[in-house]
Amino acid sequence: MPEFSSPRFLHHEGYYKARTQANFYYCYLNIQVFDEQGKDVTPRPLYRPEPSASLHRQSKILSTQDFSGATGSDFLSSLSMHQTSGVNASLVGPFSRTYGSSSISKSTTSTTESIADEIVEPGSRRDTAISLSDVLVRREEIKEQLTKEDIDKRVDIYLTETETIWLLDMPTVMVSIESEDAEKVKERNKDYIELCKNRVGNDCFVERMMQTLNGAPKNKEVQCDKILMEDKGIMATSWDLYDSFNALETTLAPSVTERKSITSSSIIDLESVILARIHEEEEDHSEAILKSEKFQQDLFFMERVLMENVFQPKLAAYRQLPEEEEEEGEEEEEEQKEIVVGSSILLDLSEAPEEILPPSLERLWSYTCELTNGHNVSCMAWNKLNPDLLAVGYGQFGFQEQKKGLACCWSLKNPMWPERIYQCDHGVTALDFSLANPNLLAVGMYSGTIAIYNVQTHNTTALLDSSESFDKHIGPVWQLKWIEQDRGTTGDDKGEILISISGDGRITKWLIRKGLGCTDLMKLKRTASERKKLTGEKEKKSEALISRQPPGMCFDFDPRNTNIYLAGTEEGHIHKCSCSYNEQFLETYQAHKGPVYKIAWNPFSTDMFLSCSADWSIILWRQDSLRPILTFSSTTNVVHDIMWSPKSAFVFAAVNEGRVEIWDLSVSTLDPLIVTFANPGVKFTTVLFARNTDCILIGDSDGIVSVYELRNMTASDSNKV
Amino acid sequence: FRPCPIATVARRESRSHAGDSSCASLAMAEVEETLKRIQAHKGVIGTIVVNAEGIPIRTTLDNSTTVQYAGLLHQLTMKARSTVRDIDPQNDLTFLRIRSKKHEIMVAPDKEYLLIVIQNPCE
Repeated sequence: MPEFSSPRFLHHEGYYKARTQANFYYCYLNIQVFDEQGKDVTPRPLYRPEPSASLHRQSKILSTQDFSGATGSDFLSSLSMHQTSGVNASLVGPFSRTYGSSSISKSTTSTTESIADEIVEPGSRRDTAISLSDVLVRREEIKEQLTKEDIDKRVDIYLTETETIWLLDMPTVMVSIESEDAEKVKERNKDYIELCKNRVGNDCFVERMMQTLNGAPKNKEVQCDKILMEDKGIMATSWDLYDSFNALETTLAPSVTERKSITSSSIIDLESVILARIHEEEEDHSEAILKSEKFQQDLFFMERVLMENVFQPKLAAYRQLPEEEEEEGEEEEEEQKEIVVGSSILLDLSEAPEEILPPSLERLWSYTCELTNGHNVSCMAWNKLNPDLLAVGYGQFGFQEQKKGLACCWSLKNPMWPERIYQCDHGVTALDFSLANPNLLAVGMYSGTIAIYNVQTHNTTALLDSSESFDKHIGPVWQLKWIEQDRGTTGDDKGEILISISGDGRITKWLIRKGLGCTDLMKLKRTASERKKLTGEKEKKSEALISRQPPGMCFDFDPRNTNIYLAGTEEGHIHKCSCSYNEQFLETYQAHKGPVYKIAWNPFSTDMFLSCSADWSIILWRQDSLRPILTFSSTTNVVHDIMWSPKSAFVFAAVNEGRVEIWDLSVSTLDPLIVTFANPGVKFTTVLFARNTDCILIGDSDGIVSVYELRNMTASDSNKV
Repeated sequence: FRPCPIATVARRESRSHAGDSSCASLAMAEVEETLKRIQAHKGVIGTIVVNAEGIPIRTTLDNSTTVQYAGLLHQLTMKARSTVRDIDPQNDLTFLRIRSKKHEIMVAPDKEYLLIVIQNPCE
């Protein structure tokens, strides 16, 4: 039996398990610590426990535990480390036990049964020789050579429960009355009380002083590296979660997006980032930003927002919103598409004036920009789908004043800059939006060319152009219109055709063939043969091919029957014609002494139509009568344009050069209802009613299209004359 | 009569496709044009375009004001965007308008830049 060595040395005990199946023995290895000089500086134990006390506990533990095969060397090294910190087995009696148990529970491959047997043996064999209660298991340097068979061998690992290790046991000091011991406890309590009572004068009990020995405390200092702490805060917003989730999904799908996912680092620290920047990168990047489409879009919106701020009251009046003192009722919402999407703005069409103010025109704003200054407004047309989109053509009327023309599309949302600008070589004299394809704008020019633009794109070149077709017009195109027509002849059903009338005396029908839009021109050759029996020279026309045809100035289709139309000529005649007959007129109305500039069917009562001419008069006709019904001549100026109001059968507007007149036939047939004068030097040339509101647009010779609101007109929406 | 830099003359033969560089320069010219128009608009006090780091790309105000506006509005935009997206993560902020007693600040935010216009609506 190994001797218990000198208590001065701290020694570890270890169980050395030999590979052999022989007896199990243990050797005690004394650990000694030597410093550099070789002096023995092993720390002395502070306390030497009684070996017997801890023995049985230790053995019990061993017997129940599987302690085979802790890797010896590293265990030893860890032990030696702990040694310097003064692990005294005795002092840390309880600790070591747990320590030992933990180490014991480490198990590698080994046969276990034999060990279990052998454990019992040493436990029983141990006696007081085991001085220290530490159950430090250590393995000798001899490692088990694991042969290949060992690795493949099946190893059984038994897990057993250790005995309960009591760290703290505080038994209760209370016992329930109902327990079995209750009686005994009561007895004992009683006895104790008796004892205490008897204690006072009893000889058995003597007071005595005691002094407790205080153990010498030892200070222990430990130093460790500074623990670095870092705080990181993050706000988990629901969009952050959503984005991260989406980002995960998009990275899975092989889609290439250049945008960075919005991570939680969206809280950008501006200051720190500004400092570190390369100049070049900056420049390139800023250029890229400026050119990006999103930026252009944002600029576009911004401009509109600015406009809205400036024009808000006027726009509100346009929309017929009730007037308020505060800035409420802002109805201009941001529309993404500017043209072909129908606006969904509510219209308040009822206007009931409380006071009896005379009807008047109130100027709201003007569509003008520096591009259009100096041009003469020759024609205006609303878009059929978006009633806020206006196309205006700029071109001079007279031959002498011809210069380059312009066609612009204006939007209600930006009265200061047109949405589209189409520069044309010649003055624009007519334009119209298509009904079937509301993005097509047909523009007719002084040269006779007709061009068709697609206003949806930003492309400023014409989609189609008639300048190269055979039968293009030679004279100025004075009017253009898109007409829905039953086209029974060619087999197409309900196609839309473009009709133009021009100064070379022809009314022509233009077709846009399917495909790439070559225009097919089908002429309705109008030989404007006059039936004037008075003058003989005009009869020559009907014979020769080189007949001089009077220029056609205007036309209008019967709203009920698109086969019938009226055409006005420069001679002052109005011919009623039919699409089916291209040789003859059905009727001719002659009353004007000058060129008929405009003809307009009454949209409500379709027997009536108006015509205006350069002879200062406006004539109201009825279809079946060759004599005019009424003549309105209020000024000595050329009447350039007339238009019926889309709301009332009695109201029409007329512009002559110096003023605009609103006539209401239900009120008076002699005088216009409202007269508004133009600025001196400026002539009014065109008029257009707005469909969805009570406003009229007046174009003048200076390139300005003014929007006027009709106020205090009594609502007369009777449709009958 | 100022010639418009955007529009091309509508001639048949000019239907050739412009090269990339001229397209870009055309777009650039249009952007500059629009910016100029906005700046010259009635009541506009200042226009600022800053990139994501807060460096002004285009501005009509002095530098200190620009930087101040950019920094403050950036934070506000972030907060506003966070609010909007918290309510519905599929939504996003498109435009921000702040109306104050003296003027109105309009911000068009984006991941890469901020377009700020300060206007004094004359009312």
